[in-house]
Amino acid sequence: MGKVIVVTSGKGGVGKTTSTANLGTALALIGKTVVVIDADVGLRNLDVVMGLENRIVYTSMDVIDNRCELTRALVKDRRVEGLTLLAASQKNNKDDIQPEQMKAICEELRSNNDFVLVDSPAGIESGFRNAAAGADEALVVTTPDVSAIRDADRITGLLQHEGVEPINLVLNRLSPEMVRKGNMVSKDDVVALLNLNLIGVVPEDRGVISSTNRGIPLVHDNSSQAAQAYMRIAKRLTGQRIPIPEIREKGFFSNILEWFSGNR
Amino acid sequence: MNQPLAGVSVHIDVQAPLLSEADLAALKLELQDTYGMVVRGINIADKTGDSAASQVVERPRASRPARGDIEKTRVVRETIRSGQTEDFPEGNLIIYGDVNPGGEVSAGGDVIVLGSLRGSAHAGMNGKLTAVIVAMNLVPLQLQIGNYISRPFVGQKSRGYPEIARVGMQDVIIVEEFVKR
Repeated sequence: MGKVIVVTSGKGGVGKTTSTANLGTALALIGKTVVVIDADVGLRNLDVVMGLENRIVYTSMDVIDNRCELTRALVKDRRVEGLTLLAASQKNNKDDIQPEQMKAICEELRSNNDFVLVDSPAGIESGFRNAAAGADEALVVTTPDVSAIRDADRITGLLQHEGVEPINLVLNRLSPEMVRKGNMVSKDDVVALLNLNLIGVVPEDRGVISSTNRGIPLVHDNSSQAAQAYMRIAKRLTGQRIPIPEIREKGFFSNILEWFSGNR
Repeated sequence: MNQPLAGVSVHIDVQAPLLSEADLAALKLELQDTYGMVVRGINIADKTGDSAASQVVERPRASRPARGDIEKTRVVRETIRSGQTEDFPEGNLIIYGDVNPGGEVSAGGDVIVLGSLRGSAHAGMNGKLTAVIVAMNLVPLQLQIGNYISRPFVGQKSRGYPEIARVGMQDVIIVEEFVKR
């Protein structure tokens, strides 16, 4: 029996979809079977970020309306063994799905996969409730700014109310330079306020934008700090104990190295 | 605020009868409540200038229940997060956790937070002005006691010791270091 993990944040734009795509890919890269579900009905993105947009034939809506079998609706990612996507319908809206229907899909998928990652839409309304309906665990993604932290706190309260446990925290887009200058909330302050288990810190990385635009999750090329951070989170999700390293500012030499490797 | 004068015994000696009895009672109360001093007695000089009869002003203690009285208290064993509320109009409220920004706690009596109070707290929600708010780390968005509202200065940092908020003599909410009575 696999684990169903909802990836959520409350606020939009903090990196739920990027995290889902990268963690799903990373888990598959270390040999797990993974299904990533886009629960953002009507505003789907996960397929785009994973570069699978043009291969979608059926969506979760077709499964719910009995137009196709669940296994046929899963889109295989050909770049890595064991990774599939269940896309969201673009033609429907969030109220067309009921929490029980989402839960049934999660239950069926967990029986023959190690991990089911559910990419939640922003907000605390029906879309979020559907996404969380079938989840045993949650990853709350936040960036180190007060509005994202406030929303993460709100969503944590709702998840606890639903009995989702454990809830792990992913701190995304941390810029060590800005923390040092005192312009950003520090890692310790975020953890002190949210009082959640920190499962990983992902540094700010401009590579994320180009990887999103190309539809190739960052972890396929393990050279950037952000990709390595996602790989470590994936390993922690499988139960490995890996300490969270302090994120360092890039020095002069690593900048030059990156310049020559074309990895800027 | 530190309380270096806590426990110090004083005698109030007034050289001219400018203060009314009510003023003196208020002064005594302030010395006792705010600074923890012990007022032994009050002397008022009479018109001839002689230091005359010692007069001890009775201190009204209506705010404290008599020993043995039972006050209703609700204990909440979790953190109050953004969007969550905890109301207990019937008595005091104790939170074994934090109150995060966007979270609200209200009580008819005192509000005690055994963690960080970063959200909003309302003590004495039915108008009890002797109610207090105590937190191990008091960095609230807003405090309310009875119908008095206060908010801290922008950028207020944690001071690292427990603090108490109460309604002071000038009808303002005073926040100071929590010292046991």
